[in-house]
Amino acid sequence: MARINPEFSDELKKYGAFDLNACYNCGNCTAVCTLSDEENSFPRKMVRYSVLGLDGDLEASLDPWLCYYCGECSTTCPREADPGELMMSLRRWLTARYDWTGLSGLLYKSLPASIFAFLLLVVAVIWFAAKQQFDVASIMHYGHFFEMAAITLVFALILLPNIIHMWWLTIYKPGIKAPLSAYFKSLEDLIVHMFTQKRALGCDDNQFRWFEHFILVLGYLLLLFTTVFLNWFETTNLFVIILGYVESAIIFVVTFDFVRRRIQKDQAISKHSHPSDWFFVIWLFLMGLTAFTVRLFIDVDLLETNLWIYLVHLIILVQWALIIVPFGKWTHFLYRSFAMYFHRVIELKG
Amino acid sequence: MKKKIGVYICHCGGNISDYVDVEKVRQAVENEGGVFLSKTTMFACADSNQKDMVSDIKEKQLDGVVVASCSPKLHLLTFRGVAERAGLNKYNYVHANIREQVSWAHSDNKTGATEKAIHIVKAAIAKVRNAESLEPVKVQSTKAVAVVGAGVAGMRAAIELAEAGAEVFLIEREFFVGGRVSQWDDLCITDETGKELITRLYDRVMQHKHVTLFTGAEIVENKGSVGNFEIKVKVTPRHFKLQCSGGELQKAIDVCPVEVPDEFNFNITKRKAIYHNYPSEYPQLPAIDMKTCTRCGKCEAVCNAVDFSQKTEYLNIKVGSILLATGFDPYEPPKGEFGYGEIDNVITLPQFKRVIHYNDKRLIWQGKEVKNIAYIYCVGSRQLNGDNKYCSRYCCTSTIHTAITAKNKYKGIHNFHFNRGIRTYGKAEVRYDESSRLGDVYLQSFEYDPPVVEARDGQTFVKIKDVLTANKELEVAADLVVLVTGMVPRKDNSIAGLLKVPKGRDKFFNEIHMKLRPVETVIDGVTIAGASQGPKNIMESMNSALSAATKSFSLIDSGELALEPTVAVVNKEACEWCGKCDEACPYSAFEKVEKDGKMIAKVIPSVCKGCGMCLPVCPSNALELIGLSDHDVESMIDVLIEKDTV
Repeated sequence: MARINPEFSDELKKYGAFDLNACYNCGNCTAVCTLSDEENSFPRKMVRYSVLGLDGDLEASLDPWLCYYCGECSTTCPREADPGELMMSLRRWLTARYDWTGLSGLLYKSLPASIFAFLLLVVAVIWFAAKQQFDVASIMHYGHFFEMAAITLVFALILLPNIIHMWWLTIYKPGIKAPLSAYFKSLEDLIVHMFTQKRALGCDDNQFRWFEHFILVLGYLLLLFTTVFLNWFETTNLFVIILGYVESAIIFVVTFDFVRRRIQKDQAISKHSHPSDWFFVIWLFLMGLTAFTVRLFIDVDLLETNLWIYLVHLIILVQWALIIVPFGKWTHFLYRSFAMYFHRVIELKG
Repeated sequence: MKKKIGVYICHCGGNISDYVDVEKVRQAVENEGGVFLSKTTMFACADSNQKDMVSDIKEKQLDGVVVASCSPKLHLLTFRGVAERAGLNKYNYVHANIREQVSWAHSDNKTGATEKAIHIVKAAIAKVRNAESLEPVKVQSTKAVAVVGAGVAGMRAAIELAEAGAEVFLIEREFFVGGRVSQWDDLCITDETGKELITRLYDRVMQHKHVTLFTGAEIVENKGSVGNFEIKVKVTPRHFKLQCSGGELQKAIDVCPVEVPDEFNFNITKRKAIYHNYPSEYPQLPAIDMKTCTRCGKCEAVCNAVDFSQKTEYLNIKVGSILLATGFDPYEPPKGEFGYGEIDNVITLPQFKRVIHYNDKRLIWQGKEVKNIAYIYCVGSRQLNGDNKYCSRYCCTSTIHTAITAKNKYKGIHNFHFNRGIRTYGKAEVRYDESSRLGDVYLQSFEYDPPVVEARDGQTFVKIKDVLTANKELEVAADLVVLVTGMVPRKDNSIAGLLKVPKGRDKFFNEIHMKLRPVETVIDGVTIAGASQGPKNIMESMNSALSAATKSFSLIDSGELALEPTVAVVNKEACEWCGKCDEACPYSAFEKVEKDGKMIAKVIPSVCKGCGMCLPVCPSNALELIGLSDHDVESMIDVLIEKDTV
């Protein structure tokens, strides 16, 4: 027996959903959604749960992650209730719900808190640079060290526990008993979806967006690998240098296009931008751009006299690694693919 | 006996003549006794043929006419009109149906069809041979109407009738006018209050010199029939003199020791035996409820206007028509239906409206502040097992309107609508949208799986398997459960028995024909309006009130009524009153009268409809129907059973 909670919609509105009350249960969104089948009605079930405030059912559901926001439901809705954006808001709400630290929720709900966190890290980086007497080599050395440490710690302390929490909420708590073999058999799904976002291809009229997103993910992951493990900024290997240029260029070109779309609002998916969406695309864009510029300055031997460009890059990097990756929109990379994985596990359980 | 009968046999295009040999029919009847002229015609109802018939009747001095064509339902009146235009009494016309009863029914057997047509036409000739000229029964009618019930429908009808020129007696059982509408605050869409509507109507009623209002009054006897109803009205006194100052009145109310549940507030509050419903009600004179008054005399001591010497009066009034606008009662759920009467925060919609009226800043029920309100729809309407199969029509709209009112008036209200499909038809649809936009939650179930109300842990819960959430079991912790009760007929509907007004399966007053004669009853002269006829909102009640007023007025306007002369008559010699005809008569057209030292039956011609139900039950064959006498019918049967007609 689920208890209706009328206050819940107010909470959800803080994550970006706006007109839950507009829905009059016509079901057009379900009719048009390619994910809907006889068993599961997308996205109406989630809309209804949100209206009724069934937070327990919502946090046990993987549905929001299975939706790749083609926007058909929002364009078809006769009441302009924007179910697509509701699914987006639910993803933010779920991200906050999975996060054991509670910081996700704080940063999603409060723009001032986000800005304060970003500024705090600016001050920290400048303070650190000052302590190093603005010595380029030293700062770059620690910068590289920071990258490795951040990856390890963020993953071990934040992301891994959160994924386990997600599993606990969506599989363990609802009492789904899946054999271990199901987890092994489903691993393929995890890998495929994590690196290809194959499911998004299922959305209609979405091929180009999928392709952009696909090369962006690829570029991002490779740049991460190139800078952290191949030490792009200090390497002399020409192949690695060019590889880094290509990767960072892909990042800032694609994200530039994403930002343009969010400004022009030409598609349902880009119509509504939560601060967390702006932070994500803009920081990714700046990451690509500053990384590219830093390497360029190194290659034309200007970095020694232009330390600020590396400092800017480092600030962006620190903010990215300590705010956006563990608590912000970056997490969708993991949650989406793990949702596909858990979904498959549940399917295999029968 | 007629000597010059004209017979017209119609082809009806080919509808008849494709299967019936109409010329053969004509030849077979042309030599029947009394037949002077026989013709076939392509379309008997065509203008040209009607003109030919008129000139035939005039020139050849025809004294009887038969047309053999379609059903009399279609063209009996057409050819009666032809006879009248030619100066022949219309009862000298007889209609023979050889289309529905012959050509269409026997299209597989042309010989047999022709033979049957000949029989039927000959039978019509046999009947017309005996036909007599008849004149309508003329009844003087009194140009006055009794309107029963001074709610919105009754008052509106009274105003209309008075303006048209009728004398109106507006008879209200309660001491105050306004009926149900005076109990409501703001109404849906117009944003006027019920009290405002009542004030406007009451002012116009009082301004009109042709309207006489009786309050505390009931019809207790009725004699007569359409045009001349003689009614006896019992008027109960208010026991208050006309001059009554506010200060003294309040003292009188304060000292009254009797407290009874206040029906005006649907029993959620108490009132004294001296009472008025609300400060500006009409008439603005309080009343003493003698059913509960103990005659302790305390009020008399403090208020000079109290007058226990007033007596019940009986008035005899003559009216031409009676218009019933007696309204409805809200459905009263039996104890235990959705927790009603058992769980103390389960109330009805009418009660809830009064609760809103009495709570200004915060919504309080039984000392606790109300935030979550659950509305359970269709209580007492659309019943699966009960008798009330009908939809009460007003309730969806009224509930949503009330929910919005509550939400706008108080802070932090959450409305939950447990419905079975929302029917805010017509203009009220905007309210449904508004409530939805305000965040009201709608949950739906079917009649076989209704919501359940239960009290546990000091809270009240409403549970439902919600159709809109894939039948998921949901529950709401409700501070107040409002049962959306429908409309039922008045508990005391004795007026119907008195006037013999029939009731429908829903037990509301029944009209003759739902679509074509929506405000008339089978009792001539008695019309019905408003929710006495079935659930209606105010606008629909106004519509029916105005049309009932028009219908009633049309009966009395000319001062004389012309009624069909084809009624039953009693053979005074043969009749020995046994009462069987009276039992069989659906219209109560019989009176028991004394004639030459014995009791016999007498037919009231203005009530009799000539249906013939009484004829076969009379053991002494003392009844005859004018225009369809035994002789008429027997002569037709003789012809119909003849063999070898061709």
